[in-house]
Amino acid sequence: MWTAFRKALALILSGDRELGNILLVTARMSLSSSLIALLIGVPIGLWLGSCRFRGRQALVVVNRTLMGMPPVVCGLLLYMLFSGVGPFGRLRLLFTVEIMILAQVLLITPLVAGSLETYVSGIAQPVRETAKGLGLGAGKTFLLLANECVYPIFSTYLLAFARAIAEVGAVSMVGGAIAWKTNVMTTAIMQYTNRGDFSLGIALGLILMAVSLLVNILVSLLQRRLSR
Amino acid sequence: MRTEACAKTFGGRTVLSLPAIELAPGRICAVVGANGSGKSTFARLLAGVIPPDGGGAVLPPRAEVRYMPQKSYPFRLSTRANILLSGGGEERAEALMEALQIGRLARRRATGLSGGETAKMALARVLSRPCGLLILDEPTASMDMEAAILAEGLIETYCKETGCAVLLITHDLQQARRMAGDALFLYQGRLWEQGPAERVLFAPERPETRRFLEFYGGA
Repeated sequence: MWTAFRKALALILSGDRELGNILLVTARMSLSSSLIALLIGVPIGLWLGSCRFRGRQALVVVNRTLMGMPPVVCGLLLYMLFSGVGPFGRLRLLFTVEIMILAQVLLITPLVAGSLETYVSGIAQPVRETAKGLGLGAGKTFLLLANECVYPIFSTYLLAFARAIAEVGAVSMVGGAIAWKTNVMTTAIMQYTNRGDFSLGIALGLILMAVSLLVNILVSLLQRRLSR
Repeated sequence: MRTEACAKTFGGRTVLSLPAIELAPGRICAVVGANGSGKSTFARLLAGVIPPDGGGAVLPPRAEVRYMPQKSYPFRLSTRANILLSGGGEERAEALMEALQIGRLARRRATGLSGGETAKMALARVLSRPCGLLILDEPTASMDMEAAILAEGLIETYCKETGCAVLLITHDLQQARRMAGDALFLYQGRLWEQGPAERVLFAPERPETRRFLEFYGGA
């Protein structure tokens, strides 16, 4: 175990090119998918949390169900849709980083929307009541409500990023874990472990944790600065 | 200003059923009653926060209403920006902050204010612009005595200067007696007694009102 750790550190310090490529693909996929999910999920969460309309509760239940969707099911669905015989086969997206991002977005957006919906439903009523009492219109009230969500939006982003960077089921199905193309840290860890190459597996694991820590620190600093 | 007769039912239980009520401009009307008598529901109906049974409006369509809820929300903005939200202008906001002794908190984020400071900010926010009807739901409940007296003075001045009708919902009977020209006593969601404050709050006609006054501060 200790030897594997030593080898892993040496590999990180050596600037291995394959390792660098895996890191880049992982960063591209996780950052893109978490940001896209945030852009889609935040307005949905604000809408579900603040508006009262017929069918709202049904949509909340659907979203909460999607929050628990197994990644392999998501991967399988996309695989069927984008394979050669599937309706979107001619787009030739299977085994590309783009479809991996799409899979991640489908998995993460309900988490973002659900997290925001829970927060917003707790504050929507007093915000609306106070805004109405000041004679403010619907647009301004919505902007004020969105402004109240700055802190939870950052926390939600961390949740989204953590899910994106640690996910393996869907991305391995639609990405195929092709070396130098779609191999990301989680799929590579599985590959190297299956091959008995624990050093590279541990090296990737260490980097995965370090990247996660770095993003957490950066987002938390930004969150603290904006929440002051 | 005349409010329409209105009722509100929650879960099959009628919590409020009131006849039309006349609110005189330039006068403060206190709404008193025990917990659950429907005071806050009345305020929320008038402010348009909740609709009355059967829909429709409780106030004339063009009535300009300002409402300070019992737990007024401090938006994640500075104290000054919160007060400016109602569109009363910088000068008015500064004057109100000074009068309520929160000038030093002008740049502080309102979410970090204490309960009493938040109530002062919320009061300044609704007083920053003239309106036709001002509804205040327990505006001084979280203020200390000195701040409450300051706030009462500001409300009275605002009422006189703008000529608006003020509906003051309060548990503080002494405050109602100090400030109100008229009074409404609500009992179990119904209007039990109404009239000049010196009669309703000092020499009521109905036994329920007398019992309430005895309990809360002596008839």
